[in-house]
Amino acid sequence: MFQNFLPNYLIGLREGLEAALVVGILVAYLVKTGNRDRLPPIWGGVGAAVAMSLAFGAALTFTAASMSFEAQEAFGGTLSIVAVGFVTWMVFWMRRAARFLKAELHGKLDAALAVGTGALVLTAFLAVGREGLETALFLWSAISSTGGSTAGPILGAALGLGTAVLLGHLLYRRAVTLNLARFFTWTGVGLVVVAAGVLAYGVHDLQEAGILPGLDNLAFDVSAQVPASSWYGTLLKGVLNFSPAMTWLELATWVAYLVPVLYLFLRRPRPATAPAPAAATGQPEAVRVRAEPASRPE
Amino acid sequence: MLLSFLPRRPAARGATILLTSLLALAGCGGGSSDSDAKASTVEVKAGDKSCEVATASLPAGTHRFAVTNTGSQITEVYVYGEGDRIVGEVEDVGPGTSRDLTVELAAGNYQVACKPGMQGTGIRSALTVSAGAASSPTS
Repeated sequence: MFQNFLPNYLIGLREGLEAALVVGILVAYLVKTGNRDRLPPIWGGVGAAVAMSLAFGAALTFTAASMSFEAQEAFGGTLSIVAVGFVTWMVFWMRRAARFLKAELHGKLDAALAVGTGALVLTAFLAVGREGLETALFLWSAISSTGGSTAGPILGAALGLGTAVLLGHLLYRRAVTLNLARFFTWTGVGLVVVAAGVLAYGVHDLQEAGILPGLDNLAFDVSAQVPASSWYGTLLKGVLNFSPAMTWLELATWVAYLVPVLYLFLRRPRPATAPAPAAATGQPEAVRVRAEPASRPE
Repeated sequence: MLLSFLPRRPAARGATILLTSLLALAGCGGGSSDSDAKASTVEVKAGDKSCEVATASLPAGTHRFAVTNTGSQITEVYVYGEGDRIVGEVEDVGPGTSRDLTVELAAGNYQVACKPGMQGTGIRSALTVSAGAASSPTS
């Protein structure tokens, strides 16, 4: 009755993890900056992505409708790249808003946040929708699974996805307890690392579709050491989009995104024209007017 | 009310429209008529150490491979063309579940590969696609 539970659980966990973490960070950010009233649109975006994915998935599973392989990979790859664009924008927007917040420039903060809500909703929508179709296809196939063990797959799938949501929630709970400086730094770094993985995997999709070359030029293959179906392989894939075998182009993309963006994100902001530039670098209690920035946030 | 969700900056608004178009395209990205689907479904039973494809030869055209994971590991099934070019794939097929893989096959030599555990070169079987209209249905 419960056979085949575990592998399907791991797929569900992996599929849900990245979206749960991104949305968890988004929600934590809005709560931390005192913008709970902006949460309903975010949930609307998440809900819309879930509904659309389930609808598309059902159409592809239960009707004669089909999507060609090239269309699937081009769609997934392009969507990944668009999602990375939004997450990158969001990370730097958070960084900018953080400076206003800590300098207590509430007027400017409100203006920055007002412009951001629509794009935040889109980011949440993309974070869920990017893998949403694949996840929906997996879910529908688990629901309609054949063979004697009908409960195992769908139980596994549902609990796996549920675990991912729980982990996202736990991340949110932990993140909001951090002090402001740590919060902004760690959530930003987390998002950049996740985005790098998404971008690399988007490149992989485009390589599979033949749109980009180099599918067989593997940079490494550790499938024996880190099987995709192990729990650690699942977590690595779900959070970092780490595949046991990656091509040179994937690896190069990952590095080419991660290094410059992390550098830009973590570097000290130049002394701003706004009063108290030093406050932007992680000392929430000190609003000092100084020419040079204070030490970097940990 | 929906408009209030659209970002105000032109670039972000453009991205929204692009995204919506992509989604619409995806909806139109494929399709086959019911009568075609029934005649050209090929069963693939992917086990832990086996990969049974119902037929080794097909007429050119669109074919639906119904993949069933009869093993205990997560598997994926690929249809390779000449030189290991991926013509179709379905990944993350959990044990005990079935997924469909629809491919457009022109005449030529192909290989169907099952990869239990989602690694390696897979268990392969040859598939020959002959030119010309469909004569007899599979099996």
